[in-house]
Amino acid sequence: MAFGSDASSVDTDDMFDDLFKKHGKVIYRSSDHKSAAAEIDDDAESLSFAVAAAKVASEVKAGDIKVLFVKPLVYWTRFFIIATAFSRPQIDAIGTKIRDMAENKYGRFAAGDSKSFGRGPAGESKPNSWTLLDFGDVVVHIFLPQQRAFYNLEEFYGNATVIELPFQS
Amino acid sequence: MIQPQTHLNVADNSGARELMCIRIIGASNRRYAHIGDVIVAVIKEAVPNMPLERSEVVRAVIVRTCKELKRDNGMIIRYDDNAAVVIDQEGNPKGTRIFGAIARELRQLNFTKIVSLAPEVL
Repeated sequence: MAFGSDASSVDTDDMFDDLFKKHGKVIYRSSDHKSAAAEIDDDAESLSFAVAAAKVASEVKAGDIKVLFVKPLVYWTRFFIIATAFSRPQIDAIGTKIRDMAENKYGRFAAGDSKSFGRGPAGESKPNSWTLLDFGDVVVHIFLPQQRAFYNLEEFYGNATVIELPFQS
Repeated sequence: MIQPQTHLNVADNSGARELMCIRIIGASNRRYAHIGDVIVAVIKEAVPNMPLERSEVVRAVIVRTCKELKRDNGMIIRYDDNAAVVIDQEGNPKGTRIFGAIARELRQLNFTKIVSLAPEVL
């Protein structure tokens, strides 16, 4: 009996060792995790989209554009773009241009921002003093100067890496 | 399960401390509000010397409920308190920072602003 149990424990140990060699430390992993290479590819794609969106914003004369790599801080998105617009029509223009660019070049659509609570349809209403475009892995914040100073998102995400923008240098 | 007369904590630095729900926005005869619903509330307790005052009527988004939130994958989230974030008519939060953990369902309900101000998203 003792011998038998010993043998079985050796067997299971061997089995676990084999499994360990094969799969490493993580035995269970949920299916939505991607390999490191795929993650890097996705990061690069998001980065190119974020830089393109920032470029569009700068073409419409948005001020103080910052692209933050927030993936290490929050799991729900990769990049934040923070821009200042100086009037509500300008917010509207930046939002529309970025939406158009995303749709035409990248085939992405923004989820409606938080204007859609209550009765109004998602994303289709007058420009807000803080307009937010949610493209999934890239989130664009367009503020009026007053709101930007009020919410101070850069300080909240102060540990995030700031991405150098090619057209600003 | 938030209904009129329910008292809620405030999960932001807007200056309100406690709210009482007086109406659920969305449908005409809804009984309960859950995470991500907008309610009309009255401020029952406020921090002194802040813009929001007691007995003011505001809109708020529910961010935490004691009633369990069920996800499709079987996960269940239940918080210790009922809490809400004060918003204005445009949907912008009145405070600048959110306290405590909030659920990711708020993002699907287009409250990404609240999510982006929160320290932790479950």
